[in-house]
Amino acid sequence: MYVKKLMTTLGIDPARLEMFNLSAAQGPRWAEICTQFIEKMRAFGPSPIADGLRKQKCV
Amino acid sequence: MIVGTQKPFPEIWEMVQGFKRVLVFGCNTCVAICHAGGGKEAEILATMLRMKAAEEGVAIEVKDLAIQRHCEPEYFDQVIEEVRGYDLVLSAACGVGVNFLTQRIGKVPVYPAINTSFYGAVPKAGVFVELCAGCGNCVLHLTGGICPIARCSKSLMNGPCGGTDKGKCEVSKEIDCAWYLIVERMKELGTLEKLGEIQPPRNWATARDGGPKRIVLEHIAEEETAEVKK
Repeated sequence: MYVKKLMTTLGIDPARLEMFNLSAAQGPRWAEICTQFIEKMRAFGPSPIADGLRKQKCV
Repeated sequence: MIVGTQKPFPEIWEMVQGFKRVLVFGCNTCVAICHAGGGKEAEILATMLRMKAAEEGVAIEVKDLAIQRHCEPEYFDQVIEEVRGYDLVLSAACGVGVNFLTQRIGKVPVYPAINTSFYGAVPKAGVFVELCAGCGNCVLHLTGGICPIARCSKSLMNGPCGGTDKGKCEVSKEIDCAWYLIVERMKELGTLEKLGEIQPPRNWATARDGGPKRIVLEHIAEEETAEVKK
């Protein structure tokens, strides 16, 4: 929650961060979460920080 | 201890505009306890500034550093040259630290990253309450160990005002009425009759109204001077 609040302060969507509790024995579940999260992030597009850095490089 | 809270991030971001090399300088004593300006918070703030700079496409170098205490020279001496190498020092210490560093740093500006709030205690993790106003003329022996200067919203010296309500202050239901607490405490101690004595108007010269204060312990200050002369 604290880090999500900091992200909001910086204008970054807090949904870009999630925490999951898993045991070391839950490999398949871990893979499933990673796949879902990657799909979610693809839909979000690049982070504002990546955009800023790209612009900086172009300048 | 001294309690503070970090300034709103947009205010801090505004402060650093135009500077190329910024140091977020934390203090690991009081303001670390209240999670406002210790090494950990300095590191987080420096990271946030770097992220914001990346987001905005601003070229700025932000580093962080922390020492144990910003109010004594011994702790500064080891790092002062490094600190002088920046364009701006964003001090995460209390106002004392900002002032003291300003006196020692030379031409580098020192800006505050936190708002220094009060002298307080930590009744439980994450909660800080003001218990002393540093007024320079302690009356706790007359009031059962509960300070009417810091803890009564009006700093009354002879009992509660008409705004006391079931032990709470009219300013907020979150604030205990200091005079309610004083009466209850003195009943408990069997010293309630002491409150019958009227306290005369206070001399506020020992508090803020008396101007900046200075205390010199001659037996220590003189020894120190002699040591330096040797």
